Amino acid sequence: MLSTEHVSLTIRDKTLLKDLSLTIKPGEVLAVLGPNGAGKSTLLKLLSAELKPSQGQITLNAKPLTAWTKAEQARLRAVLPQSSRLSFPFSAEEVVMMGRIPYRHSHTHNQNRQAVHAALQIAHVEHLAQRLFTSLSGGEQQRVQLARVLAQLWQVDSEQARYLLLDEPTSALDLAHQHHVLGLAQHLAKTWNLGVLTVLHDLNLAALYADQIAILKEGQLQTYGEPQTSLAPSHIQQAFAVEVEVMPYPLQVNRPLVITQRPNFNQFTTLTL
Amino acid sequence: MRFLPLLLGAFFSLILSLSVQAEEHKPLRVVSVGGALTEIVYALQADAYLVGVDTTSLYPEAATKLPQVGYQRQLSAEGVLSLKPDLVLVTEEAGPPAVLEQIQAAGIQLVKLPSEYSAEGVMMKIQGVADALHKPAEGKQLSDAFMADLAAVQARLAHTEQPKVVFLLSMGKGSPMAAGRATAAHAMIGLAGGQNAFADTHTGYKPVSTEAMIAANPDLLLVSKDTLTSLGGIDKALNAIPGLKLTKAGKHRRIVTMEGLHLLGFGPRLPQAAAELATLFHTQSN
Amino acid sequence: MNKRSQGLLISLVLLLLVMTILALGIGAVEIPAAQVLRILAQQLGWPMANPPDAGQITVLVEIRAPRVALGILVGAGLAITGATIQGLFRNPLADPGLIGISSGAALAAVSVIVLGATVFQGLSSALGAYTLPLAAFIGSLLVTGLVYRLAKLEGRTDIATMLLAGIAINALLGAATGLLTYAANDTQLRTLTFWLMGSLGSATWTQVLTTLPLILLPVLVLPWFAPALNAVLLGEAEAGHLGFNLERIKQVLIVLVALIVGTAVALTGVIGFVGLVVPHLLRLAFGPDHRLLLPASALLGASLLLVADLIARTVVNPAELPIGIITALIGGPFFLWLLNRYRHRSF
Repeated sequence: MLSTEHVSLTIRDKTLLKDLSLTIKPGEVLAVLGPNGAGKSTLLKLLSAELKPSQGQITLNAKPLTAWTKAEQARLRAVLPQSSRLSFPFSAEEVVMMGRIPYRHSHTHNQNRQAVHAALQIAHVEHLAQRLFTSLSGGEQQRVQLARVLAQLWQVDSEQARYLLLDEPTSALDLAHQHHVLGLAQHLAKTWNLGVLTVLHDLNLAALYADQIAILKEGQLQTYGEPQTSLAPSHIQQAFAVEVEVMPYPLQVNRPLVITQRPNFNQFTTLTL
Repeated sequence: MRFLPLLLGAFFSLILSLSVQAEEHKPLRVVSVGGALTEIVYALQADAYLVGVDTTSLYPEAATKLPQVGYQRQLSAEGVLSLKPDLVLVTEEAGPPAVLEQIQAAGIQLVKLPSEYSAEGVMMKIQGVADALHKPAEGKQLSDAFMADLAAVQARLAHTEQPKVVFLLSMGKGSPMAAGRATAAHAMIGLAGGQNAFADTHTGYKPVSTEAMIAANPDLLLVSKDTLTSLGGIDKALNAIPGLKLTKAGKHRRIVTMEGLHLLGFGPRLPQAAAELATLFHTQSN
Repeated sequence: MNKRSQGLLISLVLLLLVMTILALGIGAVEIPAAQVLRILAQQLGWPMANPPDAGQITVLVEIRAPRVALGILVGAGLAITGATIQGLFRNPLADPGLIGISSGAALAAVSVIVLGATVFQGLSSALGAYTLPLAAFIGSLLVTGLVYRLAKLEGRTDIATMLLAGIAINALLGAATGLLTYAANDTQLRTLTFWLMGSLGSATWTQVLTTLPLILLPVLVLPWFAPALNAVLLGEAEAGHLGFNLERIKQVLIVLVALIVGTAVALTGVIGFVGLVVPHLLRLAFGPDHRLLLPASALLGASLLLVADLIARTVVNPAELPIGIITALIGGPFFLWLLNRYRHRSF
């Protein structure tokens, strides 16, 4: 398990996260939702050890995160960034190969190449392998990066549970690929026994693919639980300040469907008149 | 026919003995680095020995036809060695030091002569070059003539007025720099019967402010021909040099020029240069 | 490492070998190739019936050979340094000369030359031959750290900020150097001119051998950081996710870079553009993978500097040009071409 225990983060008198406790369980997808500035990215940085909590602690497989070396962490946890700033002319395959850097001493070159090919296949980017990463579209780059983090976790002989952290993985993708990526995350959670955390903006994507949903607001955990309970209209209204209706998802058992009401601008128009 | 080998033998032994004799007066191969040194080599009529000179060796004209070893402060060890010299004449200005060491390490005689800006300095150069070229008699003759000429010039200037002179050096960019003490120009102004207007303010070449120029109030401005050309002639120079217009030199448009190397070379032609400069001083200041 | 990479490295080793032989064989003093080999054999203790000409031995062994060795060291050092900081700064236009690292080294060295007799006297006598390299090392270390801090924006260095910081620092150091020339005497001024132009002309075996480890060790150690630099190109956070302790690695890399540039400047003065041109040519042809780029840059940089020095010392024979002029003549237009290229599309 990868968990935060009563974690707070304060930077220069500004509280970014407050008393946050949640757990990513192997085999499950945890979706983190929340309005802009709620602390989702901060949470991801804490879990990926880019930032250290001011209070509380983070544990990875029952040991404090700080007790693992950076190299050990890299074999247990991969992070998909929101966007990529790679500006040097690597081929897509070379980028995916970088996911195997943590295994450059422990595995043979051939083993690592196999992992890269498997990752390219499951991320549906095999046809892009020889293209220059910088020449790809935003969505293609995102999928190649996904292949890279999958290559990083592609390790059949691991006894430890591994974790995949996704920061808005669907932001640059078309409809088909949004579902492909989240479906894949769900599938790998089950088959590779991965613990997946994904930051999302689309409530219905979360409703469809997440096993657990956490909603953050102003640095605090507001709601945490299964989709049916966490996506109650009152929770959503409280967090996002929008009027919603929630109904059962057609043909999907135990999955809610969130329908957002159009905002009402009458108050403003009367004001100007 | 039996005599032939004998004859040949005799012939060769004759040649051999001649060449052994010639060994003592074997023509030297000399590289001269420094305009003054090259002039001295010519004045000693040893120019046949010269196989290379540096970029400051511009007089006499014939010297410019010789292979160039480059700027005297940026010599190349291998370049100098490629001329297969027996003797390399340099002044203290030559460098870089490591290159001079390499030339010596290659077994080449390197004679380093002082580059003092004085008559004594020139005498030391003449003597040093003459000794290195094994021409002590010619050296003595040259230095005697040099001293006599210089004494004559000095005698002529003993009771003349001493105009205040400022020498400016154009460095290509920025304001021109004025010669202070310990410069060739300072020494030359003195030898020509003038006094350096900036003798008391600084040593070496320093840029001077408008106010310093007005305070110095020189009677004459002395520049090299190249500097005057780069300043764009007398009229432009008067405007370009800060404060000059407000000095006596500026008001009376007294600007004196000489060819730079002749003026500052401190070679065997020093007496002539001093005499020419003195004439320029006094025709201008009257 | 694949066959293509191995092939490239082997070709570059061969190229360097050929350039070394050419650089040893060509010069103002004519020494035929066969004679070069005979002298080398004789130097290695090969018995010889009629030994080669003593003058030629001196030129080859005492003048040309240390110069060639220095060229290889400095060329390899500057090129691998360029490749490293381009990776570390995630910025393909970083060059030790352009961003002021070399100037920092030069200023520190100039300070020691000018003020050495008075201010740093104790230091100079204690450190001997290492005084200049050490001072230059400290100078380049400070500037590298400073530019990195100034130009870093959201985890990468912004090209414009970095170049502007470089201009500012170069101007500042130029002014400080200019100020020091007022305090310098004539002999020191001559040494300063040498610094600012760059030259391999003063190479001696003592000098090359005493400072050899200061460049050679970092050059040999740097390729070890290739995976980390590759990861850095993805992003600093990403490099952390891939298991690298980036803060530590950055510190080590900056120290290694400063060590190479400082020593190189102390030995040869400022020689620009090698660190820019070499990694670029290699990246254009073989991609940005540092596992290949770093060793290949070292090899090609050494060859390039040997060619530049060969031109510098033969083109106005028997005089010679400062090598900095040659590298700037090659590098200046190349840099403008790169700027234009990057203005129109990403790297």
